[in-house]
Amino acid sequence: MRKALVLVTAAVLGLGLVAVGQRAPKYVVGSDINWAPFEWASAKGQYLGFDLDVMRAIAVLEGFEIEIVDMPFDSIIPAVVAGKVDIGASGFTITAERGEVVTFSQPYWKSDQAVVVRVGSGLTKEKALEAGRKVGAQRGTTGALWIEDNLVPQGVVLVEYETYPEAVLDLLAGRLDAVVQDVDPSKMAVAQYPGKLEIAGLIETGEEFGFLVALGDPKGILPKIHAGIAKLKESGAWDLLIEAYFGPSLAKIEAAWEKCISILLGEKNPLKYAQALLAEVKK
Amino acid sequence: MFPSPSFPLTAETWLRVGPYIPVLLRGLGVNIQILLGLIALGFVVGILIALLEVYAPRPLAFVGSAYAWFFRGVPEIVLLFLFYFGLSRTFNIPVSPFLAAVLALGLRSSAYQAQIFRGALLSIPHGQMMAARALGLGPVRAIFHVILPQALRLSLAGWSNEFSSVLKDTTLAWGIGVVEVMRQAAYIRGRDFPLTLPIYLTVAFMFLVLTYAGNWAIGAVEKRLRVPGLETRR
Amino acid sequence: MTLLTVEDVHKRYGREEVLKGVSLTLNRGETKVVIGPSGTGKSTLLRCVNRLTEPDSGRIWLENVEVTSAKTDINHIRAQIGFVFQDFNLFTHLTALDNVRLGLVSVKKLPKKEATDRAMAELERVGLRHKAKAYPAQLSGGQQQRVSIARALAMDPKLILFDEPTSALDPELIGEVLAVMIRLAEEGMTMIVVTHEMGFARSVADEIVFMEGGVIVEHGPPDRLFRSPEKPRTAEFLRRISELYGQEGR
Repeated sequence: MRKALVLVTAAVLGLGLVAVGQRAPKYVVGSDINWAPFEWASAKGQYLGFDLDVMRAIAVLEGFEIEIVDMPFDSIIPAVVAGKVDIGASGFTITAERGEVVTFSQPYWKSDQAVVVRVGSGLTKEKALEAGRKVGAQRGTTGALWIEDNLVPQGVVLVEYETYPEAVLDLLAGRLDAVVQDVDPSKMAVAQYPGKLEIAGLIETGEEFGFLVALGDPKGILPKIHAGIAKLKESGAWDLLIEAYFGPSLAKIEAAWEKCISILLGEKNPLKYAQALLAEVKK
Repeated sequence: MFPSPSFPLTAETWLRVGPYIPVLLRGLGVNIQILLGLIALGFVVGILIALLEVYAPRPLAFVGSAYAWFFRGVPEIVLLFLFYFGLSRTFNIPVSPFLAAVLALGLRSSAYQAQIFRGALLSIPHGQMMAARALGLGPVRAIFHVILPQALRLSLAGWSNEFSSVLKDTTLAWGIGVVEVMRQAAYIRGRDFPLTLPIYLTVAFMFLVLTYAGNWAIGAVEKRLRVPGLETRR
Repeated sequence: MTLLTVEDVHKRYGREEVLKGVSLTLNRGETKVVIGPSGTGKSTLLRCVNRLTEPDSGRIWLENVEVTSAKTDINHIRAQIGFVFQDFNLFTHLTALDNVRLGLVSVKKLPKKEATDRAMAELERVGLRHKAKAYPAQLSGGQQQRVSIARALAMDPKLILFDEPTSALDPELIGEVLAVMIRLAEEGMTMIVVTHEMGFARSVADEIVFMEGGVIVEHGPPDRLFRSPEKPRTAEFLRRISELYGQEGR
């Protein structure tokens, strides 16, 4: 009995030690890794995507280490505020409201919202967003906020989801008339259901994505991110990454990524990596 | 609506699940680690709280009751947030999501386990304590040698319920970023929407197996420790 | 030679004072039997002796150690005083052997082998060696009480307190327990026995103590006390007992 208690206590204390030991001196990057092609997990559970590769490339160029941590989208900003996470990289739209609690980098992406409907529903963008329609969106995203502000007063019913795939599945199941989401993930979802889903049209919100850090950037991370992005754009790697990530199927990108990622992480050569990745997905 | 063309449950989708099983099992391994940690923590703290409630003088016993009241009353997800964000922010203690999950779910479980142990302690006749004290055992020895061995046996049935319930609670750890089996399932769904139903059915099956195995193990322990006159009431 | 001294012990539960100043002395090797109506403080008196019940006032000595002193290690005192309960209170989760062995290992710190040998010897002494592996629930009431006597004996007590040891037993099981107690008395064990067994009291006691209403009304050798009690209340009690159980008590 007593021996068992000692073992149990030791096990509990041991957990604590392991957790403390895991904390390495590097920047922790928080991302909701379920939003292809910006960030997702491969069939083998590896984290990839445009945001994550950009962060990895910046880290290589600016000489810091990163640890990518997957967390719920809603938790990333609280985690940055709490000092658990140093950088938020998860396709965050820059808004004034978020700007009150965190500090954004310069925008790195411009996006509009897409209205996705079922093929054969005959809905145009305008019809899909009429009064009485049920429109889905991921909670906390720009799409959800936009519907809330612009369509709900007109009588549209907004249904919010924890994740984007749930909304898409409900659309497929006929429980929704349309789903509003950023253009690129929308294209990705449509590609998964050929002949079943289509983009009825775009809502030009003109929102901009930024990386985010703690309010006032106390650790001085933003200058490094800006310098890194500038170098990537200058070398041409930036445009190659966009071409590699936005268009090809996820399976293709995953295979190429797995083949090439060592060029970025091992050889520490972002341009060569971007070239190799693009060449591989184009094969 | 189920199964509809968007949730295909064909042989083809099931075949596509196969390669994902190792990833899911890796996630399930995290759930099991959380489970073991939280059960152990809940067990130790639960016994201490129950002993406080039953044997400690008024003010201390009240602390025990207040503790149990707090951890039973606050929703799990709120506890997870409190431990993950609150500890580091308020006390500047670095807490990993995994440790926060073990602490939050473990302390919550301790409140429930304390309730089980408390009931068992109270059901042991006062004469047992008297006889132990009369032999010259001090209060702590009497509790360890006489009261707890009986109370723990009586607790096993309630304890197996608690096991099944906290096993499922481990999936909540994703809320603070622990990549466990539900998150692994979400990854798969995120890159392959049509696999949604088969993947979650697979996860459900894994939990059913785990629950069965856990209850079987507890049953085996129960059988091993069974003493005539101290049968657990099922 | 005096082994135990009880001096003016009082105990109150709420409004009711159950012990109103009880004093007695017990010599080594003596068997004292305490009789009296139910609820007159006999059990409370026994429990005060090893402070299972804390007396409100009064003093108690075991040899020259004051039991009631705050400085005394009460666990050390209790280890020297055997206590046999009305409802046995054997440890439910332990076998007969382990019940007897627990005090030897955990209090007296005997090595396991030695403790086992000693425990087996005590079970032998109460005639239950063959039940060593049985759990309390598998024993009859009489057997359980004999194990609990063995448990007390194993500690080498200076005296044993018996709190109505046969009251919870079916009539046909009383004899086997009394037989063990009679043999202990004959072997020179010092004992205080609270009981309604008048036959046992008459044949074994060196002295009878009659308690009523929280005080000792009268005490004396059994021959005298049973034949010619000095106090009318004693006589009344003995008359009622013999009406209930016949001349010899039960």
